[in-house]
Amino acid sequence: MSAHNQNESVQALYEGDQSKLYSGIMAHHTNVNSPESKAQVKKIWKIFWILLLITLIEVTIGMFFSKAMPIGIRNFGFLALTVVKAGYIVAVFMHLGDELKNFMITVLVPLVLFVWFIIAFLADGNYWLWINKDSPVHAKYEQVIKK
Amino acid sequence: MLHAAPMAKENVWGGGRSPYNVSYGKMMIWFFLLSDALTFGALLISYGTKRFFSAVWPDANQVFKSFPFLEGNDLPLLFVSLMTFILIMSSVTMVLAVHAGHYGDKKNVAVWLLWTIIGGICFLGCQAWEWTHLYGECNGLWGAFTTENMPFDSFQGFFNMHSPAVADIVVHHSKVAQEASHQFFNYFFTITGFHGAHVTSGVIFNMVILINVVNNTYQKRGHYEMVEKVGLYWHFVDLVWVFVFTCFYLL
Repeated sequence: MSAHNQNESVQALYEGDQSKLYSGIMAHHTNVNSPESKAQVKKIWKIFWILLLITLIEVTIGMFFSKAMPIGIRNFGFLALTVVKAGYIVAVFMHLGDELKNFMITVLVPLVLFVWFIIAFLADGNYWLWINKDSPVHAKYEQVIKK
Repeated sequence: MLHAAPMAKENVWGGGRSPYNVSYGKMMIWFFLLSDALTFGALLISYGTKRFFSAVWPDANQVFKSFPFLEGNDLPLLFVSLMTFILIMSSVTMVLAVHAGHYGDKKNVAVWLLWTIIGGICFLGCQAWEWTHLYGECNGLWGAFTTENMPFDSFQGFFNMHSPAVADIVVHHSKVAQEASHQFFNYFFTITGFHGAHVTSGVIFNMVILINVVNNTYQKRGHYEMVEKVGLYWHFVDLVWVFVFTCFYLL
């Protein structure tokens, strides 16, 4: 049928020699019923339960407690839980935790840009609030924030 | 024996092997996802900026409180929790398909991929319902709040009117509340729409590789790396939803 499947050299050009790649759980195995395989499946389901639990905690806080909590603590809590969820998805589901350290660093380092983005927008927003501090709406905004 | 360790180190970059131990295709999907993360990040950060600038903002518990067939009941965040659950679940079935691929287990790859596709379609169905519902609430999608000086009762339902300070701004400075509604919904439809487009293309990719799996394409190739690459894309879609969920429904 499709010719490219039979052409080993072209395939190797695009996919690399797979036998030289991947070790650990990402290597090619044969026995799906082996203890390693079962341990990996167990780990996947464990991460699923962790993600579900974190989501349930977030939703419970969002539904019942978010009005009663100080806004700073609430937001920090939500963001921290979000980062934990993202970490589990990237490390386990996307197998980044199973890659070489070199590769992990290569993927993660550009994300440091986000730190600058967030600092920049907070600074900009603060400046905007400062130049509008005498407007009547702004005085009420302070009340909304502080309740 | 003494020079064994330095030798091994040199060999990593000495050619003849992948220094990162990944194939070209897999490395490129990672870098694509990185650029996509920057795009979503830009959208979410500009949403955050607009929100930070605004005195009032629609309250998620007021905007997202409906559930199919239970309209009119006050059920904040319940529907989006269901959507989140569906997407996390489909991420799990995808990683199980990838796992089966590592073992060359064709049947399980096909079964788990099928579940992933079903999960993706369910999520898109939920999103279609939510958009239709909000279309009804706003009388439009993008730009539904652009008419000058709209009466405050056309958007007060989105705000937490139990807070006297918020209610005061919505009633007496309705322009501020109208602008906030305008921005909230424009960003909501843009970002969830962009995410939904990713889910749609992810479902299509999953269907393509499911057909290939059934046709033994990867069995002949000797490995299921393609499942892993599409899996990376699918998990990324789940990852973005985690942030969309926090930004729109929780914060």
